Amino acid sequence: MAGALSLAWGVTAHRPALLRQVLRSFSVTAVRNQETGAAVAAASIDSRKSPLILDEKFPDSNSIVVPREAWIETLDTSAASTQVGLIHLHPQVFGANPRLDLIHENVTWQKKFRMVNYAHTKVRSEVRGGGKKPWPQKGLGRARHGSIRSPLWRGGGVTHGPRAYTTHFYMLPFSKRLQGLTATLSAKFAQDDLKIVESLDMPSDEAGYLEQLCENRRWGISVLFVDDSDIMPRNITLASDTLRHMNLMPVYGLNVHSMLKHETLVLTVAAVRRIEERILYHFRRPDLPKENMKRFRM
Amino acid sequence: MACAVKSLLGSLSRVATPLYGAAAAAAAAARTSQAWTPLVTSVRHRYHWQKMKKGPLLKNYGQNDILHNKGLMPHIEHHKRLPIPLYRPKNNWAEKRALFGQNDYIDILGPGNLHPTKTAYSVPAWLRGFKGNEYQMLLRKKKLFGQQMAIYRPSKRREMDKRIVWLYKYLNFKTKDYMWKKA
Repeated sequence: MAGALSLAWGVTAHRPALLRQVLRSFSVTAVRNQETGAAVAAASIDSRKSPLILDEKFPDSNSIVVPREAWIETLDTSAASTQVGLIHLHPQVFGANPRLDLIHENVTWQKKFRMVNYAHTKVRSEVRGGGKKPWPQKGLGRARHGSIRSPLWRGGGVTHGPRAYTTHFYMLPFSKRLQGLTATLSAKFAQDDLKIVESLDMPSDEAGYLEQLCENRRWGISVLFVDDSDIMPRNITLASDTLRHMNLMPVYGLNVHSMLKHETLVLTVAAVRRIEERILYHFRRPDLPKENMKRFRM
Repeated sequence: MACAVKSLLGSLSRVATPLYGAAAAAAAAARTSQAWTPLVTSVRHRYHWQKMKKGPLLKNYGQNDILHNKGLMPHIEHHKRLPIPLYRPKNNWAEKRALFGQNDYIDILGPGNLHPTKTAYSVPAWLRGFKGNEYQMLLRKKKLFGQQMAIYRPSKRREMDKRIVWLYKYLNFKTKDYMWKKA
């Protein structure tokens, strides 16, 4: 229980140093409200008198593609309607070219760059024994041998076998990874697998509630919920704890492989804005060519 | 379908196999002659159902066939089970597989002070961000652990040194590098 929960409650449980570093630079904007049933019911009735229209014009955008429009939904089924508002998505992030080749390269990179092959075979000098000449060179009529551990012998060493720690590390160019993210987000959006949600607040902490919700809305078999912060609301954490195919992730944990593994991707409004801000920052930075030329070395 | 059956003279006469025409005459002649010649008899039926009614041809009579020729699996009572492993499907939604690849884009989507090599916790610390052949890997290992190995694993350290020396000679005097293609 602790192991699975800590993922959502805070990766801090496992990796304190990493998260402390990240949280220091992230600004925690909203204080989590009390998620009692009454409070949520009251909030949902009062605060949504008018729909949440976030129609940003994106004046800085130099893209000829128009901003993408998406519904803002809510995870509260007691609300009047599923849709709570409208949001405009930046075209460079969510309306990019869905490059399948880049997506494939990114997924392959993710699978390979952390792989270490521990297979190991002993060479003839490492196999126990085999220092003495088994029989004299001439006179016996037998084949000539110098050691019982030569590769010709049964139980002998392997000549060109796998050797110890073989790593397959490499880094994709920065722009390829950046465009891999935009391609996947655009593809997900184009295929109606991207859902925007105002927040991950839920009235109930039961797994059945979340399952029923996803079932009713045809939200795929597997769902990935992404929020700006890595400390998620209590109810959705408990609900998704036992459901292995519904996972929670912070924005910095988002990646191409996870987006493809989960059928539906659910982003909060805060997560959308954070993703846009981060990706556009990297697209616009003046030292991007320098970043691409970087050869990573330890 | 006509079948040619080689049989000894004596046994054939006892078995009720129909002999036609020339075959019968040959059989009769063979019975009376002094020298023995093997008799080739073709077995033919007028209708297919007659052949089927006779059943399968008796072959290798008296041979004890020790091969497993019945059922799908070998007999377990006297012999070991074949090493076919039980199928155990992988749990594709186990935690490590469900969240595979998390934090791989932390240098893009995070604050920018972290690199994915720093978050690759499944890789041994000394191999994070490293790619090289065996020689380069051993040199790195010696640089990082050589002194400690000399104290706590002297035999292993000695073996590693031998391997490094051998690999240097092999790679530099017995193999070509990528420059040779351009030369």
